[in-house]
Amino acid sequence: MREGYFYTIGFTFVSSVILTTILAVTNAVYMPRINQNEEIAFKGAILYVLDMHPTTKSEVVSMFAESIQQFQLAGIDVYARRDENLVIHSYALPLQGSGLWGMMEGYVGVSADSQTLLGIEFTKHNETPGLGGRIDERIYKEQFRGVPLGNLPIVHTEDLNAITGATSTSNAVLRIVNDTMNKVLPKLEVHHERRD
Amino acid sequence: MRDAIKQSFRNNLWKENQVTRQILGICSILAVTNLMANTLVMGLGLMFVISCSSLTISLLRNYIPHRVRMIVQTFIIASYVIVVDIFIQANYPELSRALGPYVGLIITNCIIMGRAEAFAQKNTPFISLLDGLFAGLGYTIVLMVIAFVRELLGFGTLFGRNVNFIGLETWTIMVMPPAAFFIIGVMIWAAASMTMTRDKKAQSAPPALRPSEVKQASATSATAQ
Repeated sequence: MREGYFYTIGFTFVSSVILTTILAVTNAVYMPRINQNEEIAFKGAILYVLDMHPTTKSEVVSMFAESIQQFQLAGIDVYARRDENLVIHSYALPLQGSGLWGMMEGYVGVSADSQTLLGIEFTKHNETPGLGGRIDERIYKEQFRGVPLGNLPIVHTEDLNAITGATSTSNAVLRIVNDTMNKVLPKLEVHHERRD
Repeated sequence: MRDAIKQSFRNNLWKENQVTRQILGICSILAVTNLMANTLVMGLGLMFVISCSSLTISLLRNYIPHRVRMIVQTFIIASYVIVVDIFIQANYPELSRALGPYVGLIITNCIIMGRAEAFAQKNTPFISLLDGLFAGLGYTIVLMVIAFVRELLGFGTLFGRNVNFIGLETWTIMVMPPAAFFIIGVMIWAAASMTMTRDKKAQSAPPALRPSEVKQASATSATAQ
């Protein structure tokens, strides 16, 4: 009986149904929470590059709702930060490009006059943990705050160090930032002047 | 029963360790072992999956059709892995980000399928559960040893805490996957040569046995232990 065709097919079918049900239920139960985590990670990244530092998850949500406004600029999503008087303080732009091992995605913050870089953060990358992966570390990211955008391209300097052992990743980060700046800053400036 | 548990414990942790003696689960070792914290999570995840899948497969061992047993095993293992992955994503988002695709790749770890095929489908549930747990533990211990060496020499830290008090230069190669190859190679060599020395001793003790009898004798002594 155990070796019969019908038993085999029946067993496979029943076990598939049971296991799939378990997975579907687990997924349904946890999905809201996973989505919420992703949303907080995304909002946290935007706030971080705009030099805002919420301390709790609920603060991330409330801060984002209060001061960040999304709009489209030549097909890309731009996030504007307004201060208390509703004057635009800065913009967050999406970053995208190839790193050492794969695509890297993140955000970069620029001041409203497009003269200063406010911060960078990568939300997705496949860089080597411990080497290129250190672009996630504060000590690396904080260097980008206040880098002048007057004369592009941005290059490594005494105040903007590459990561030891991860030259390719460090160069890729600068290349991606520079490409984005070259592409988006002119448009952003036009947009900003028209708006205010 | 007690002896069986003892034997399973001893075999999985040392004598037939999945990594050092059976050379299984090597890919995951290369990938995750440069930080001890990630390694521990990977090891715990594997222990959970392997225990649960061994238990399930053992419970179903008289019902699973022989012809499709491997498909069913894979299916059971995959389900547990996905549950673990979703659980980590929901409750520990930072960890999930750090581990990347590795949690999902637990399913490709040959140790789990190996225990299912070699043990769980022939033995009762309780001992299968323990066998899975011990096999996972043996794997985790080897992983932690490798991670200890790699994190210490590669970063000068342990579990992310700085222990490099005298400011020694860290060793970049230790952070990269090849380092795991070197360390695992040394460990396999050590384990193999220790086992060989022990077997030689066992063989030289009763002098006038023919090879076939030696095999039998060592087999019975192994079960007696």
